[in-house]
Amino acid sequence: MIEIACPNCQKRYRLADKFAGKKAKCKKCGAVLVIRPPVAPSDHAGASQPAKPNPKRTKPAPAGESNRSTMPAPQVPTVDPVTVDPAPVEATPIETAEAIPTAEAVPIVEAIPVSADPFDDIPVAEPVTPSVQAFADPGFDAGFDAPATAMPISPAKTPSPGTAAASGVGETLRGTTGHMKYEISQRPDFSIVKINLPQGGKVYAEPSAMVSMTPTMHLEAGLKGGLGKTFGRLLGGESLIINTFTAQDGPGEVMFAGGAAGDVAYHRLNGNTLYLQRGAYMFNSEGVDVSGKWQGAKGFFSGEGLVLLKASGTGDIFFNSYGAIIPIDVNEGFMVDTGYIVAFEETLQYRVTVLPGLRAAGKIKSFFFGGEGLVCQFSGTGRVWIQTRQVKSFLSWVNAFRPTKSN
Amino acid sequence: MHHQLLAQPAMSIAKLTLQAGESVTCEVGAMIAMSSGFTVETTSRSRGGGGGITKGLKRMFSGENFFLNHFTSTAPNQTLWIGPGLLGDIMHYPMTGGTLIVQGSSWLASAIGIEIDATWQGLGKALFSGEGMFWVKCSGQGDLFLNSFGSIYPVDVNGEYVVDTGHIVAFEDTLNFKIGKAGSSLIGSVLGGEGLVCKFSGQGKLYCQSHNPPSFGQLLGPKLKAR
Repeated sequence: MIEIACPNCQKRYRLADKFAGKKAKCKKCGAVLVIRPPVAPSDHAGASQPAKPNPKRTKPAPAGESNRSTMPAPQVPTVDPVTVDPAPVEATPIETAEAIPTAEAVPIVEAIPVSADPFDDIPVAEPVTPSVQAFADPGFDAGFDAPATAMPISPAKTPSPGTAAASGVGETLRGTTGHMKYEISQRPDFSIVKINLPQGGKVYAEPSAMVSMTPTMHLEAGLKGGLGKTFGRLLGGESLIINTFTAQDGPGEVMFAGGAAGDVAYHRLNGNTLYLQRGAYMFNSEGVDVSGKWQGAKGFFSGEGLVLLKASGTGDIFFNSYGAIIPIDVNEGFMVDTGYIVAFEETLQYRVTVLPGLRAAGKIKSFFFGGEGLVCQFSGTGRVWIQTRQVKSFLSWVNAFRPTKSN
Repeated sequence: MHHQLLAQPAMSIAKLTLQAGESVTCEVGAMIAMSSGFTVETTSRSRGGGGGITKGLKRMFSGENFFLNHFTSTAPNQTLWIGPGLLGDIMHYPMTGGTLIVQGSSWLASAIGIEIDATWQGLGKALFSGEGMFWVKCSGQGDLFLNSFGSIYPVDVNGEYVVDTGHIVAFEDTLNFKIGKAGSSLIGSVLGGEGLVCKFSGQGKLYCQSHNPPSFGQLLGPKLKAR
């Protein structure tokens, strides 16, 4: 437990150890304060003293760990920043532990204008490994404990390979790319992406993806990339028109969201190619080329239309889904129902097929009786993104409720 | 079998990790993705349970698919991702020999050690409820996965408890239930929109869902074009 006071207005905060070494903005007066690692247990009792700079700051990351062990056993549980008068500090009962990143604890990590870059009003959270783990704590339930305005702020997290989607579902994703700063919040149910562009920055988006934007942004609709590519996109289930958003009159901010309630994912292309399922495309930065790809027999066989959009180049691409998006790193063969594929990397080979086992010995029946029939069989190494729901299921369900024609 | 539930409550998905030789029975259509080391078998009977066609037919009446898919892992650490079709939650219920009565469309998957049976005697009562309520009786041992429309909340019943018939996900068979009207008069309770309710008594766990698919369907239906 760290206790600090704002040097400016003396408002007090209690913070979990994991914030040690970070900077925070005072909720009351806005001053920036440095969160020192916790002081020794003896000092801990003297809570009415503003925390002093701690000489032990040399080891910021493990400091929380080591101090925790020296603390008296019944540790004072955290509550959100408590404002207390100096006198009754000791008497203040502090309740509820566990949910450390609760609503009010959050603005703490809110941000610090660090650099002189054009984004200086944007929160910057440095990736600090211990806090990543803290947020991934299974006991932490963002959905219930944190109201919408106070999503836990996790350190900048670019989807990194190796984490097959275990704890990241529902977490706010944020990061900085060469083109923009992005933040995907309200995941996975009502995901919305906020991007900040420097002056002159551009993004290309699917029509109707834009939710709101600053007046500095200039919007232009047009056919991007000539007739061939435009037709390709049409084939890929996307619109002919691609909107170009330019931050013309200074740095700008745009919010994007998908058409259905669902998730948004980000992927960074470094000269490689990503295939997107029909309709998943949302927007991309400069340097990315989006075109349709006709699957030939492969796509035709899938019925549902495994019609893919191909995104290649170097830059950022965002895509959305109905349902949550789960990235899965494939390295030894993987099968996904064709209706649940959102995107996959080009390094994967794929083949649309009947679920193995159903093919053999007249077991085709499940192919006719609905359900799993067609799967996309991936091999090789790469990442595939799946969605947890498909619009088709919802449609076929709601279809039963349609009134019948009386003629 | 290990399991992990993600993206709860609205977009929930279950990730099951199976070792070689382990297998799980799923509702047809529940599979979203899986690793390649599975053999899939479609049958009309629950594995090891017998029953065959008749049970298949009964399942069909209970709102479940006639067929069941059995996924058997042939290699260590195989993952299977399953989820329901509609928005809603997934619940894990570890069965330890007792019996759980599950609402027809809420059953998602179960381990091999669980017998799935739609022959449960509550059928007559359920017909009376008028909401197309059918029940699947699950008994045995192992992991059971249920899904809901909306979120799931558990109720520890000790004494009596009343639930709208459309909002029941499952209940332990230590509970007795009776279909009845919500208000004191039939007309009053129908006009009040509550229709019929289940009155539980006894001691046991009851799982309810926050939303009711027919209510949502009836809200959407009239606004759609006629078929």
